[in-house]
Amino acid sequence: MLKSITYGAVAALLATSAIADGHGGPYAEYAGTTLVVNFPAHPHYNAAMKVLPEFTKETGIEVEVDQLPYLKMRERQTLELAQDEGEYDLIAYVVFSKADYVFADQLENLAKYFMDPKLADPSYDAADLIDGYVQNIGVAGGTKGYLPGATGSLFGIPFGSETSVLAYRKDIFEKHGIAEPETYDQLLDAACAIPELEPGMGGMASRAASGHQASHAFLLHLAPLGGRVFDDAWEPIINNAAGVEAAEALKTIVDCGPEGSMAFGPAEAANAFSSGAAAMFLDSIAFMPGFEDPSRSSVAGKVGYAMHPMGVRRGSQTGGFGIAIPKNAENKEAAFLLMQWLTSKKGDLMVAMEGGNPSRFSTYQDAGLNEKFPFSATFGEALEFADPDWRPIIPTWGKINADIGTTMSKVLTEDLDIQEALDGVAERARAIMDEAGYYTWQ
Amino acid sequence: MSTARANRMTPYLFMAPAAVIMGIALLYPLGYMVYGSFLDWDPSQAIYEAEFVGLKNYVTLWNDAAFRESLSVTLIFASAVVTAEMVLGVGLALLLDRNIRGMSVLRTLFILPMMIAPVVVGLMWRYMYHPTVGTFNRFLTDWGFERVDWLGQHALLSVIIADIWQWTPFIFILSLAALQSLPRSALEAARIDGATAWQQIVHIKLPLMMPVLIVTMLLRLIDAFKVLEVILVMTEGGPGLSTEIVALRISRTATEFRELGTAAAMSNYLLILLLIFTVAMFAITRAQEARGRRLARQIEEEG
Repeated sequence: MLKSITYGAVAALLATSAIADGHGGPYAEYAGTTLVVNFPAHPHYNAAMKVLPEFTKETGIEVEVDQLPYLKMRERQTLELAQDEGEYDLIAYVVFSKADYVFADQLENLAKYFMDPKLADPSYDAADLIDGYVQNIGVAGGTKGYLPGATGSLFGIPFGSETSVLAYRKDIFEKHGIAEPETYDQLLDAACAIPELEPGMGGMASRAASGHQASHAFLLHLAPLGGRVFDDAWEPIINNAAGVEAAEALKTIVDCGPEGSMAFGPAEAANAFSSGAAAMFLDSIAFMPGFEDPSRSSVAGKVGYAMHPMGVRRGSQTGGFGIAIPKNAENKEAAFLLMQWLTSKKGDLMVAMEGGNPSRFSTYQDAGLNEKFPFSATFGEALEFADPDWRPIIPTWGKINADIGTTMSKVLTEDLDIQEALDGVAERARAIMDEAGYYTWQ
Repeated sequence: MSTARANRMTPYLFMAPAAVIMGIALLYPLGYMVYGSFLDWDPSQAIYEAEFVGLKNYVTLWNDAAFRESLSVTLIFASAVVTAEMVLGVGLALLLDRNIRGMSVLRTLFILPMMIAPVVVGLMWRYMYHPTVGTFNRFLTDWGFERVDWLGQHALLSVIIADIWQWTPFIFILSLAALQSLPRSALEAARIDGATAWQQIVHIKLPLMMPVLIVTMLLRLIDAFKVLEVILVMTEGGPGLSTEIVALRISRTATEFRELGTAAAMSNYLLILLLIFTVAMFAITRAQEARGRRLARQIEEEG
């Protein structure tokens, strides 16, 4: 699965000529450097790799990509970052790796790069970066450790980030006079009305497979319904009224969903929607371009896109990937230049035009992009409500997440009592947190 | 004097390479794992940075309901598949131990499943179990039966069926080999004495095959305790923890929960369990052999 690509010869040539004619610029010092970057196999990064030759042409910095499946990537990075001298100059990381890497002091704090007048591009416009993403993926050390706040600082920049939107079948909804779901009540009503109105079609396709998928699906509903996993003192509150409501919502959705829902991962759920077996799909924006591709989807052109429905508040998921510079990287400055270039207004738009997920508000508003992907404006709007705290990003999360996932799966398949199930999760989560020292100051 | 000593040393000298390789390839990693199980060890840390916590991981696991559940899933899974595979495999071998035309082709066909990569087996069965477009449910609906939620309500059974499909051939070929190497004289004598086919199987063939069968069973049992890929692909341990066998839990603990120490402790529990099985099974064989010898002696004395 290891694929390496070098963009080289042209760049070296251009670089030497740039220096030779006395033209300096920010990149001149690093021309000819070869950066080794670690990217996941993911549509966004496939798009990014298409624009890398442009970077090389412009800067003379060569880029070698080590592309891995995203779950393998984390294992590889865990080993690589613990070395004295690492192989990677820039890594893409999954959002929940942030806690582990920052906690183990393995990522560069980006402050010193943005302070360096020779490196930082004054036209970068960081305020244009999608705020929820930056907080969720880039910042650590503030409130609760993983959120921004007075003591927080930046360790990575969102690149390939995702939020959730609702895709629904416009034709089916119009046929039966159902309105576009704006609230959770409307969503759940529609989800269970459709199987009766359209025999053989499920209401909403959702992830639900045991483990991470079931947990993800539950948390997706928890935030908009007003719940959280922990309160501000790290006491589990997952078993309060909002938690129960979120679990009930998930159960309703799965019960009224397409056949076999209980074992769905995200790909299966997306397939159910694109093959017409379900009328709605509430998940990451990364899946949406696929629905408009007639060669893979039988519903192309019939899909409407809406914001993640509102419960007591708006709160769509935040997730996906960011890019960061490892502490043990060899060419940190050049890596920063690549990072800055990829997430600049120009780079972000180029990647988006190739099918990537934008990291900037301005990209979503771009006329050219909206022409190519008509749903871009809706996504941009949804992003203002992206919730960076829809799940905690702490080192103990892996274990708690797995427990939520298996318990939810039991609720869905074995009809376990919801309150009892969530009480169990809360109790076990408290024990895990206690052991990890979260109650030391109480 | 020195010649004598050299003579005494020779066997050790010849054994040395094997002992060294064994030490490096087997004992070192095993020792590493045992040592690791006493640590609170995160994969981001080097082993010397990890904190020594003694038996804490073992105690935590012992009180961990999820681990106990996956242990019981493992025991149910392993005993179910090994029993079913032994019955089917030995049965098939007894049936096919004759000169049928095209026998070699048949035999090759029979052992095909175990040559397929486990991940492919998992994917294949996952598609066959698919609730709407899977082979089984399409077949059931065509014949007017209710659909079955294979990987939902009956996940463990479905996983067991897939494993039986893949590994029965293993028992089959080993039993067939054992059958064909049985002393023909004993069988001939039985036939002359008028033993029926069934009596031949129960009183002659099975007892004579027993040593091979026990080793085969042990191999399968050890394998069944460690099976990972097929279940990972088919159910990922779900729904709930209903198909999460210990091997899968170990892998999740190491990668998802990032607790290498606990994962090592789990492996050690599994190792201890398997050791107990192995020792018990060899003890049973020993006892049986001893009993056989005693009977033989008795018969001799009486005769």
